[in-house]
Amino acid sequence: MSESSALLYSKDHEWVRFEGETAVIGITDYAQHALGDIVYVELPRVGQRFAQFASIGVVESVKSVSELYTPVVGEVIEVNTALESDAGVINRSPQEEGWIIKLRLEGDGGRDQLLDAEAYQRITSDT
Amino acid sequence: MSESLYEIPLDREHRRLGAQMVPFAGFSMPIRYTSILQEHRAVRERVGLFDLSHMAPFELSGHDVATWFERLSCNRVSTMGIGVARYHLLMNERGGVHDDVILYRLADRYILIANAANADKVDEHLRSHAHGVDVRIDALHRRRVLLALQGPSAAALLSDLTPHDLTTMKSYTAVDTEIDNVPVFLARTGYTGEDGFELLLAPEHAVSVFRRLLEHGAAWGLEMAGLGARDILRLEAGMPLYGHELDEEHTPFQSGLAWAVKADKGPFLGSQALHARREEAGERLVGLILRQRIPARHGYAVFAEDRRVGAIASATIAPSVGDRSIATAFVEAGYDERGRTLSIEIRGRMYEAEVVALPFYRRHS
Repeated sequence: MSESSALLYSKDHEWVRFEGETAVIGITDYAQHALGDIVYVELPRVGQRFAQFASIGVVESVKSVSELYTPVVGEVIEVNTALESDAGVINRSPQEEGWIIKLRLEGDGGRDQLLDAEAYQRITSDT
Repeated sequence: MSESLYEIPLDREHRRLGAQMVPFAGFSMPIRYTSILQEHRAVRERVGLFDLSHMAPFELSGHDVATWFERLSCNRVSTMGIGVARYHLLMNERGGVHDDVILYRLADRYILIANAANADKVDEHLRSHAHGVDVRIDALHRRRVLLALQGPSAAALLSDLTPHDLTTMKSYTAVDTEIDNVPVFLARTGYTGEDGFELLLAPEHAVSVFRRLLEHGAAWGLEMAGLGARDILRLEAGMPLYGHELDEEHTPFQSGLAWAVKADKGPFLGSQALHARREEAGERLVGLILRQRIPARHGYAVFAEDRRVGAIASATIAPSVGDRSIATAFVEAGYDERGRTLSIEIRGRMYEAEVVALPFYRRHS
């Protein structure tokens, strides 16, 4: 499945969708496949502020725990509470219903540090 | 950096089937094919097929096998008739455990299957205790294919493929038989808590038997299953994993395996130490169910209020236990009674759990 060209990506397999001053964040299809069945997500609190690439939460699969890093600088304005009862939606729909966090951007959030679809595709085919 | 891992004989078959391979006990092994939860469900509801060729079978022959093994295990060998399979703990001198194994008695030999991680240790231990006795130890590690067919439909599926009458084959029995004229050692044993079979065969014909099982199994909804699913299945069923619930330090009593210790059978390696340690308080294995559906992990600390009283042995989210977060833990005597609330520290925060009896899951027969 190819990654949408409207998104930007981090090297740690998070995607960001920019909606004006808001950034919607999740993990990529590549990441959800590598992790396997996701059973638990630890989410930050609304109002918490994070530097770019800071640890913002945890995604747990049956066999592993993975840190989630925010691809952009900002303040948490919403978390996907549906994940509390059904973390598996990240596996089924990693870029739509499986969104994890929404942040209000500070400045441009540091988007020049991120990868476009083509650059991200290169990483996933190298690994 | 590449590791030099052993490839099991059916390695190419597994890759062709989309297995995700991981290093395990020096082997490249399938951890999953589709998803761990999907494979788990296939075993509980229909039938799953596992490749366990990393494990260590031994063929034991000679006049003295029974009396010799009787002294190495805390369970009884003398009452094992031909065709019987039994769970044994190979003991150390301190009353701890070298490995948990299954011993199978056949007409002309015994077969022992040890854990992959303990293959060398068990080999060395058996040989070092076999001086001056009529026992021949033939190590079959890396020379056999071991498959496990597990689930409620396993018997129905297999009965079409073997001449042996499975309707009269009891649990924990074994026999030499065949599939498509290929000799197969067949045992009605397993590590999932479901009905099922384990098959030991020579690598030369393993591909054809394997493909036959897959092809015939399609009508039964058979799925390939990996080590990831296997670990959840066995934990739900209260079955120990060496290195987690069993080790060189804990006695079988502490590990919840008092039933495997036959105190009246005469001396065996470690029996004196076991007797002395019988009254020792120490710690005991308990089951835990967390209130919140957050996974615990091996090694996490367990508390009773502010007092650290133990550590997690194994843990998982358990689809067959209401999808709850479950764990086993060794807990200090006095804090281990059923119904008590303990806390597990997960990433710096405390999460409550209730002490429950094992197993978490029993199959409906």
